[in-house]
Amino acid sequence: MSKPDTMTLNKKPLSLKKVVLRLLLYFVVLDVCVITLYPYFAMFCTALKSRSEIFSANGTVFPIQPLWSNFIDIWKKAPMARYMLNSLIIAGGSTVIAMVCGIPAAYALSRMRFKGQTAFLGFIIVSQMFAPVVLLIGIYSVMMRLGLTDSLLGLILINAAFNQAFTVWLLRGTFMSISAEMEQAATIDGCSRVQAMLKVLLPVAAPGIVTTLIFIFINAWNEYTVALTLISSNTLKPMTVGINIFNGYDMIEWQYLFASSIFAIVPVVILFMCIEKNLVSGLASGGVKG
Amino acid sequence: MKRSEQTAPAQGEQKKLTGKQRFRRVEPYIWIAPSVILMAVFILVPIFFVFRLSMSHVTKAGLIKDFAGFENFAKVLKTPAFGMILKNTLVWTVVVVVLSTVLGFMLALVLNNKFHGRKIARAIVVFPWATTLVIQASTWKFIIDTDFGTLNTLLLRLGIIKQAVNWTPTPEAYFGWEMACGIFVTIPFVTFCVLSGLQSIDASLYEAATVDGASYFQKLFHITLPLVRPSLTVSTVLNIIYVFNSFPIVWVITKGDPANRTDTLVTYLYKLAFYRGRQGEAAAVSVLGFLILLVCASVYMVYTLRKGDES
Repeated sequence: MSKPDTMTLNKKPLSLKKVVLRLLLYFVVLDVCVITLYPYFAMFCTALKSRSEIFSANGTVFPIQPLWSNFIDIWKKAPMARYMLNSLIIAGGSTVIAMVCGIPAAYALSRMRFKGQTAFLGFIIVSQMFAPVVLLIGIYSVMMRLGLTDSLLGLILINAAFNQAFTVWLLRGTFMSISAEMEQAATIDGCSRVQAMLKVLLPVAAPGIVTTLIFIFINAWNEYTVALTLISSNTLKPMTVGINIFNGYDMIEWQYLFASSIFAIVPVVILFMCIEKNLVSGLASGGVKG
Repeated sequence: MKRSEQTAPAQGEQKKLTGKQRFRRVEPYIWIAPSVILMAVFILVPIFFVFRLSMSHVTKAGLIKDFAGFENFAKVLKTPAFGMILKNTLVWTVVVVVLSTVLGFMLALVLNNKFHGRKIARAIVVFPWATTLVIQASTWKFIIDTDFGTLNTLLLRLGIIKQAVNWTPTPEAYFGWEMACGIFVTIPFVTFCVLSGLQSIDASLYEAATVDGASYFQKLFHITLPLVRPSLTVSTVLNIIYVFNSFPIVWVITKGDPANRTDTLVTYLYKLAFYRGRQGEAAAVSVLGFLILLVCASVYMVYTLRKGDES
């Protein structure tokens, strides 16, 4: 028993209180799961209906006859493949840049002492306060000057920058939890500092790095507001913005909107489930103890 | 002279050392440079631009004409709807943060028990966190629709209601649903922060308390809460910031309409900047937003830190 568990602390077998509490627990958990999954259930069922069935006066919960063709039609009705590729490029690019900039910074913060260290950490924390949406006007001005409006590179850089605080914070926590002794030994053996980091520290820190990496990828994949504002060409839109092609002002094609939504959320939900456990310990070590 | 001759080799050595030392001194800055440059160009410079725009006369095309002092701020504050927008923003932030913290905390207590299917339950709970807000909001918009929404259909089929209910009779009702959606997507973050705190609590504390005859609630308030407070502080501060700045939910469901009645500061400033071409005023709204957020976050942090010191 490593977990505080009030119910199993009571060792009497088959006490009524225990049974009732157990049942209550399962009841609550089941409710929570049903409520959480309901929007996804509604999304999936609607994605399989025809337009007339959705708008019929006599609504149905499950589709009368599942129209799997909706999932194929969306690829013809909109440049879905293009949207998906854009999302991949944006999320992948942001992740690479955020890591390339974030790893050395986190390394310096965890292994070296220098003037301005506290100021840099302070800036990282304060920068969390500025969401892209409140800075959009400023971001737009910067991107205009750099000629990066309506470009994937622009979105990649913005996403990388706004994920930098989180990246540095989480990686710093990971690096600090690893002893510097092995790297020092490697340096004595003639490794340079960069080699020591690449060959000794990074392999040990791999779980933390993968967690951070996936988290940035998800954030960038899910980003909506900046893409909505900066991107005007249809062929450069990521999934989150692109699928709204089915969400017109006069008419919403719910079945297509939801069919394409499923393609946008499934990969991310799977990735998130992979890192769920590590992310929590990361949040704890980086955020609370750091 | 003799002395200096004597120290000459030492000086040479020292010079060599200082060369290395100088590099040692500069080295950390080389390591942090990429990160600093990235954040400076794409976060600091935009912050600077926003402040400058807020103090300037700006053309519709976004060109700065001249210095305007606090004119933009005065214009924004004089807008009749601004009071309501401010109130909406505060209600939105407080309701979503408080309720998602309370519910998320309770859910964490539940999930911290050992039971069959715990892993699956945890994986399901993480869903709303992983889903992009636009899609989550679109789904909610569809679910609560009066005429063909699935909530009405489901309740009708289950026989819980006899007639389709208009879930959104007033703008306030819409805003309520938007807050519900906000709470729904914020709970997982709180739950997982609290879970990480709960996992670090030593089980022997509870055993000792049980031996002393402590009730469940005594244990909750005297052991659990104080020990997960750091996790709760982190999640609350971050949530105040995220929720205050949250844009997609309101944008997708109502766009702040009708007549600004569901607008928050961020949706309002978005419309000012990108629909009405009033970038100066939009920037002023941004700056006001920063100030409010700064005050809230620091008040909360000072308050919790002081409380932490006392106990």
